[in-house]
Amino acid sequence: MSFLHDPQFGDRMITLMAALVLVLQIAMVGQRWLMTNIRMFALQSFLLATIAGTIAFFNHAEHVYIAALLTLFLKAGLLPYLLVRLVKRVGIQQEIEPLINVPVSVLISGGLTLVGYIVGDSFYHPEETSAAAALGHNTLAIAIALFLIGFFMMLNRRKALTQVLGLLCMENGLFLAGISLTYGVPLVVEFGIFFDLLVAVMVLGILVYRIGETFDSMDVSKLRRLRG
Amino acid sequence: MILLWLLLVPLIAAPLAFVLAKRPAMEFVNLAAFAIVLSLAGALGGQVLRSGPVSLLDGFLYADALSSLIVLLTAFVAFVCSVYAVGYFRHDEQNTIFVEKEDVLGEVASQKLRKYYSLIPLFVFSMLLVTLANNLGVLWVAIEGTTLASVFLVTFYGRKTSLEAAWKYAIIGGVGLSMALFGTILTYYAAHRIPGTETLTGLNWSMLVANASHLDKPTMRLAFILILLGYGTKAGIAPMHTWKPDAYSEAPVPVAAMLAAALLNCALYGLVRFYILTSKCLGPQFASHLLIFFGLLSMGVAVPFVLVQRSFRRLLAYSSIDHCGIMVLALGFGGPLGILGMFLHMTFHAITKPLLFFCAGNIQQHLKTDLFRKAKGGLIHSMPWTGAAFLMAGLAVTGSPPFSLFQSEFTILRAAFGGGYFLPAILFVAFLVAIFSGFLVHIANLVLGADPGLPKAEIGRWKKYSVLGLASVIVVMGFWIPSPLIRLIQGAVEIVASAR
Repeated sequence: MSFLHDPQFGDRMITLMAALVLVLQIAMVGQRWLMTNIRMFALQSFLLATIAGTIAFFNHAEHVYIAALLTLFLKAGLLPYLLVRLVKRVGIQQEIEPLINVPVSVLISGGLTLVGYIVGDSFYHPEETSAAAALGHNTLAIAIALFLIGFFMMLNRRKALTQVLGLLCMENGLFLAGISLTYGVPLVVEFGIFFDLLVAVMVLGILVYRIGETFDSMDVSKLRRLRG
Repeated sequence: MILLWLLLVPLIAAPLAFVLAKRPAMEFVNLAAFAIVLSLAGALGGQVLRSGPVSLLDGFLYADALSSLIVLLTAFVAFVCSVYAVGYFRHDEQNTIFVEKEDVLGEVASQKLRKYYSLIPLFVFSMLLVTLANNLGVLWVAIEGTTLASVFLVTFYGRKTSLEAAWKYAIIGGVGLSMALFGTILTYYAAHRIPGTETLTGLNWSMLVANASHLDKPTMRLAFILILLGYGTKAGIAPMHTWKPDAYSEAPVPVAAMLAAALLNCALYGLVRFYILTSKCLGPQFASHLLIFFGLLSMGVAVPFVLVQRSFRRLLAYSSIDHCGIMVLALGFGGPLGILGMFLHMTFHAITKPLLFFCAGNIQQHLKTDLFRKAKGGLIHSMPWTGAAFLMAGLAVTGSPPFSLFQSEFTILRAAFGGGYFLPAILFVAFLVAIFSGFLVHIANLVLGADPGLPKAEIGRWKKYSVLGLASVIVVMGFWIPSPLIRLIQGAVEIVASAR
């Protein structure tokens, strides 16, 4: 099992998984069904947890293991479960109606990925650090792309719940940026962020539920009474 | 120990109010808690003045003059709002505002009050944690916490429009704060070559500021832009201000006053902490230009909306965007004078803004509308005290002498000319004059004029005490500022200005 201690192997694994994360993100932009979108988000979070686990393994960093486990339980398990339950309870129409049609949206996501690579490139200094410590630095570009595409998803979608999903994707991008740049933030902060995330999804979930009840629609473009 | 108690008191008050559930008990818990917090904040200020920065729990909590100034302002606003809230919600309850169709026993009413009285201490707790946390990540968590604690306060009345306002508040705030988190992570990365940052204390502000010149420069540049956009969203600087008028006009008055006068300071506090790091690392020029741009933009955006405003609650929100712009601008002008102007403005704004909201709340409860069109003017005849106080607060908030906001705005102007920023200074004055005239025309039309023959308003004693008390504080502060407060402000200025 000598390859398990080779940083080169770890690097390739991380790059592969990060690429899958990006593919999932773009697929989410193109995908029209809400449930599938939530499942894709769960899978993406699972991959992120695996990336974090791999980095923790090659660097012997215990606190990254904890971050990986938290991601696994919270973002790949609990949050998708809560969202699916919410979809069933509110009886949201399944189809997402993006403002910009799918082919153009996917094209824009591709462009945003390019922006991610351009920005991320300036932080990539492979020659400065040792092999193990440089693990995952090249995923920063993907992290920035996730952040931007998540933001684009929020702008592009009218339904309240899909905007929440966009926000979660942005958060996934931040998590990837955190572990690829600095192997996560200090553990207190990590706990705080996860706690905030959980509460935020609950708060937004209750709001979504009440908007659905009051307006008989989840379309946030109908929220336009307050002006001026 | 003061630091710990400052956080524990509101944290205990929240579940206590929730469990007690009876109105008088909840009122008492809130009033007592915020009175204790205010006196603790005063004690903290005194301790910092006597013996320098205080820290606790291995530097997890940290208070210097800058944090204790913001703590004091937050505690003050929380206390006056809690006094006003007693009268405000009793009035609402008597006028059966809460009662919905199927609510026979008044259960919804007590549920709503319970929600208010247990969420407000949590909201104050998060704001205090923002100012006392040393770790910049914890600071972020706490600012996010303020959003989460206050979303359901915005939906308090359960109208369609309040849901809309809360949705915008939560989503725009969420996006903004994720940018701020990105900025925080980048700051952490910028410090990765400094030894000792791998540990738990790696994101501590006191440690970063000691090594600020070794931070990675390109990373800090990007980080500051993200932080400015992120915490700027929370403070409500243009173009991320759109949630503000909605949230301020839909939330109950005590909540709106807290958002405008306390949360604004806390968000700017986060920005100031990063500003210090950035100017130590990159020199003040880079941050200054960005801050001047966004400050002027916020003031400029507020002008047309103030001039043609139809609702007096929204008018106050645009005034708050304007004042936020002034503070950001003052920070951008920089120099000891500009920063002094910013902290003076922050202090005076925090005591003036609640009075405006309280008067607006009294008027809204009396007329049952917040539109100028329906109000018809001449309010001074039916509500003499509130009308007079509203007019006075209006004069104060637009920066007319002798009120104290004139002093701070004048200081900022001097800083602008002193720093050689002529064009921004001219724009600053132009915007101030436009907002002054627009704001005062609206307030004067509302308060003065012929008697429309409305019945005399009944203002409960809690509402009267808070309005009169706050009005006298504003008058006194126009002529005399307590010397410990001045020294605290000077201490805060030194911390920020030493970054240059």
